[in-house]
Amino acid sequence: MILLPQAALAGGVLGALGLGLLRRPPALAVRALTFLAPLAALLLLPMTPAGLLPPLIAVDIKCLGWQLVIYAAALPLALRSSADDVEAALFLGVVLGMGLLTAAGNLPMLFLALEFMSLPAYLLVARAGTGEGGRRLEAAVKYFFAGALAGGLFLLGMALYYSQTHLLGPSPRPVGLLAQGGVTLMAAAALFKIGAAPLHWWLPDVYEAAVPEVTGFLSTAMKAAAVLFLMRVVQLVPSANFAPLLPWLGAASSLFAAVMALRQESLQRLLAYSSMAHAGLLVLGVGAWARMGQSPVAAAAILFYLGAYAFMSNGTFGFLAATGLRTRAQLKGYARRQPGLALAFAALLFCLGGVPPTGGFVAKLLVLWQAVAAELPGPAVLAALSALISLGYYLGLVRDLYFEEPVMESPAPGGACARILVLVCAFGALALGAAPLLLKDLAGGFWR
Amino acid sequence: MSPAALVALLMNLVAVLALAGFFAGAGALFGPRSRHEGDADMPYETGLPPLSPGHERMTALYWRHAVLFVVFDVDLAFLLPFVLVRPRLDAAALAAITGFTVLIVFMLAYFWRKGALECR
Repeated sequence: MILLPQAALAGGVLGALGLGLLRRPPALAVRALTFLAPLAALLLLPMTPAGLLPPLIAVDIKCLGWQLVIYAAALPLALRSSADDVEAALFLGVVLGMGLLTAAGNLPMLFLALEFMSLPAYLLVARAGTGEGGRRLEAAVKYFFAGALAGGLFLLGMALYYSQTHLLGPSPRPVGLLAQGGVTLMAAAALFKIGAAPLHWWLPDVYEAAVPEVTGFLSTAMKAAAVLFLMRVVQLVPSANFAPLLPWLGAASSLFAAVMALRQESLQRLLAYSSMAHAGLLVLGVGAWARMGQSPVAAAAILFYLGAYAFMSNGTFGFLAATGLRTRAQLKGYARRQPGLALAFAALLFCLGGVPPTGGFVAKLLVLWQAVAAELPGPAVLAALSALISLGYYLGLVRDLYFEEPVMESPAPGGACARILVLVCAFGALALGAAPLLLKDLAGGFWR
Repeated sequence: MSPAALVALLMNLVAVLALAGFFAGAGALFGPRSRHEGDADMPYETGLPPLSPGHERMTALYWRHAVLFVVFDVDLAFLLPFVLVRPRLDAAALAAITGFTVLIVFMLAYFWRKGALECR
């Protein structure tokens, strides 16, 4: 059985819906199911060998690696989810869709999985959380229209590709102009889902309006799935016309997001732009990977980046969820009230900024290294410049935390579970920096 | 797609547009000129003056049923290709299609339980 993790998640979805049939769904059972299904998927992953179930399913080594990151990145939201059975089913549905996307063997399955992971995500953005939901609903509608546009682009691209090649999978031979156009459209759909400039306009609004935990999930697991989606599209043809554009797009969106984040007052919007800057670096990594003939080392670098970013982003959004802070003004002097949480947040910010010797630094170094190895000095320099600019707001947040007088009351921090999550994420992000060479060797051997 | 096919497509497009344009515009070209005066422009409603403006919002309380109908209709349409790819109903095929049907019935029960089938 090569689809054991996905089967566990499907069982979780059906279980959550089944609990919804009860008059009063037991809160403990819903929470346990929400957490145990992704955990079971994670634990079943080592028992699932690579293999094929043609034509729809193809589990390769990349599929397994990405599943690892996606399920692990979904755990924080699973831990913090509410006792709502509908929300549980939606969340598990998104994760199941991602699991299917990693294992998609041909284009129709890729499209099905894309929709499977996207549709519940729109509803999750609108539904998760308490209090007034007007802004969340608006964000969900924006997200839906962006996603629908991406789905339409993908279908059109798939039709063009099929009309010339009569293939639903990768083409072994170089293809004509029409199929190249189709692949470009499919790549545009993937860039939409990643949120790379100039297809990013929905991202800040959605990431700001959603509940912080959900944003953490979207910015890590969803982004990982979208990056793999882009890589699968690049793999369709031997030399895609749009591939040389990817590094520049990535560097440009990284630079744009870093500059935009500088002037944000809302913490969640700032972190949304920061997430976009990181996504730009990932797109640059995909460009380098494509240029070097889809080298496994570059893929490993991208996967490491995603893994490290899963810790960092889940940690920072978890901090927002645990403290209830919304604006930079509320953050001022917060270290005096909650020294432990503030220290973890500062560590996470250093990781996000790529300050050595943290996991964020290693991740950035690996991806930029691959870009330089692929002879892409221009985009690499631009990306490094954007990392430098991003220090302006990451270190600015640290200054707000430690060296400013408190100007206003901040809300009371949340429960112990949320705090422990922030600490665990901060520790993980730091620890990934402590063992870079070991991990790199591991990853290299794993991929060869 | 060959250039000849593209040309054929373009010719088809031009023909369709010309035909539709002719039908839409023929009345204005050849028809009798109407005198716009008095109540002549009023919509005809069995000889009575209209009760309300024509562009009115209508309630569509049945929208949820419409959506559910489409969803289950598409689900059941999957039975057709199943019959085509599995002409012989052996044990594995029976198990697969039973699982599929049970899933659909489960979802129907779920919608029923959640009150999505209520008529309001």
